[in-house]
Amino acid sequence: MLAMLSVELRKLNRSLAAVLALAAPSLMGAFLFFVLLRGTKPAVWSSWLQASTQIWAYFMLPMSVTALTALVAHMEHGPRAWDHLRALPVPRWRIYAAKALCVIALVLVMTGLNLLVSCAAISAAGALKPLVAPKGAPDLAHLLALNGKVVAAAVLLIAIQLWTALRFSSFVPALALGIGGTFFSVVATNAKEGVFFPWQMPVNMLAGDPARVSTALSLGCGLGLVALVLAVLHLARREVL
Amino acid sequence: MAAAIETEHLRRRFGARLAVDDVSMTVPERAVYGFLGRNGAGKTTTLKMLLGLIRPSGGAARIHGVDIARDRMAAARKVGALLEAHGFYGNLTGAENLALTATLLGAPAREIDRVLEIVEMRADAGRKVAGYSLGMRQRLALARALLGAPPVLILDEPTNGLDPDGIADMRGFLRSLPERTGATVLLSSHLLGEIEQIATHVGVIHDGRLVLEGPLSRLKADLAPEILLRTDDDARARTLLGGRSVSPADTGLAVALRPGEDADQAAAALNQILVQAGLAVFALGAREQSLEDIYRRVAAPAYPKAEAA
Ligand SMILES: Nc1ncnc2c1ncn2[C@@H]1O[C@H](COP(=O)(O)OP(=O)(O)OP(=O)(O)O)[C@@H](O)[C@H]1O
Ligand SMILES: [Mg+2]
Repeated sequence: MLAMLSVELRKLNRSLAAVLALAAPSLMGAFLFFVLLRGTKPAVWSSWLQASTQIWAYFMLPMSVTALTALVAHMEHGPRAWDHLRALPVPRWRIYAAKALCVIALVLVMTGLNLLVSCAAISAAGALKPLVAPKGAPDLAHLLALNGKVVAAAVLLIAIQLWTALRFSSFVPALALGIGGTFFSVVATNAKEGVFFPWQMPVNMLAGDPARVSTALSLGCGLGLVALVLAVLHLARREVL
Repeated sequence: MAAAIETEHLRRRFGARLAVDDVSMTVPERAVYGFLGRNGAGKTTTLKMLLGLIRPSGGAARIHGVDIARDRMAAARKVGALLEAHGFYGNLTGAENLALTATLLGAPAREIDRVLEIVEMRADAGRKVAGYSLGMRQRLALARALLGAPPVLILDEPTNGLDPDGIADMRGFLRSLPERTGATVLLSSHLLGEIEQIATHVGVIHDGRLVLEGPLSRLKADLAPEILLRTDDDARARTLLGGRSVSPADTGLAVALRPGEDADQAAAALNQILVQAGLAVFALGAREQSLEDIYRRVAAPAYPKAEAA
């Protein structure tokens, strides 16, 4: 399994997926930076970082997962690498399990980068315009835990998007699903049922109501892991023509 | 000789279409087996079943006695494969692509240099595969199939995209492989001349059915030479020679000899019949048969014009 994981990571070298992993958090940083520059009073670390996490969990994360899974899947669909991979003396479930782990790791890295880039953006804006310079220090422990929960709650969404992207050699079904899912989670922000909607589970980690948090987390992570295992088993057993 | 690859009544259906129909093939150990067939004959489908990539609708396949349906991993450990779709990652270099496979096979890094050397790709191994030509990809794919020196090579149209020098190199390499390493090679092609020059054994697949199989030497010996002739009225000549097996040739007609018949005698007899009937005979002569002819004969029913001629 370690060999398979190392192979998956090496495939990312110079790939579009790697570019995306850097680009998405950078966009968030740029956005925060420019909004802060328009401010007129000192920034508050925790509220800005909380806002950054919220935008990330709400919109950027589902969209990034959509794009990332599509790109990672296309790396195999494009050159039709499945035949070669599946003919090797390697259990087939490992091919897909390694892909899933690799995607989750990338989402984790991107989420961490978002936090890092946001901190940098806030500091940079403060350095450029001392009026908005942040006061105090960010509560990093709280933010890390929060972001960890965001990623954990995203596992179901990742499983659904990854399965769709790997199952269909065209990127259309996966993109349609990802864009559609994110769209509905954005327009139906206030819907109570949002906790049951995979694309809205991550942002529910920031909800005020603890019941919402725990429901979305257990569904997103618990059901997500089950979905991931089922997806891997199905893909491994399926015939790829 | 034991069989390196064996299939028993192998079948595969795609919807209503039987792509592979009751194929029982035997590839002896250390053979270079040419698997011959037209486009869509079922070569790739058969090879993919040997690799466990698609499931047979019926029948079984074994590699060195290991049933693929029962133990794909054990069978796969014995096989190196080159498939139609190479599946190289364009963002990685040739050497990096090979390294991925070597990692999964547990092959040492020096294997990569060894196989690159064989296909003469050392110089370009550091370039991204996205910039490779078709022939370079094909060489790299052969190199990858050779990683770990597997005892069985399954190659789907390995000379596809190679230039004449590349084809000659590959031919020489594959032909000498069984002797040097004890490996068995199964390669598919629709190029008849190609197979004739590489193979020790031949299997011809047509419309999903294995219509001919055996050592190349025996197949060729089995086939008597035939007489090629051209007249001013081939249709009438055909009627006149109704008692013989006549088939259309590139120019004119090809007349098969009867068992034991002498080619010169037959030529003289044919000439006499045609001339006596008032036909002008433009050309007439004996010709050794090649695989091309075997192929044309077994595949002829696919061409209605053969009947009309
Ligand atoms: N995935 C598929 N779905 C439906 N039909 C298929 C599929 N793959 C192959 N076939 C059909 O099976 C038959 C055999 O195809 P196959 O690819 O094995 O031919 P081939 O001998 O390799 O031809 P070529 O020389 O063109 O590579 C063809 O009629 C083809 O249309
Ligand atoms: Mg083919």
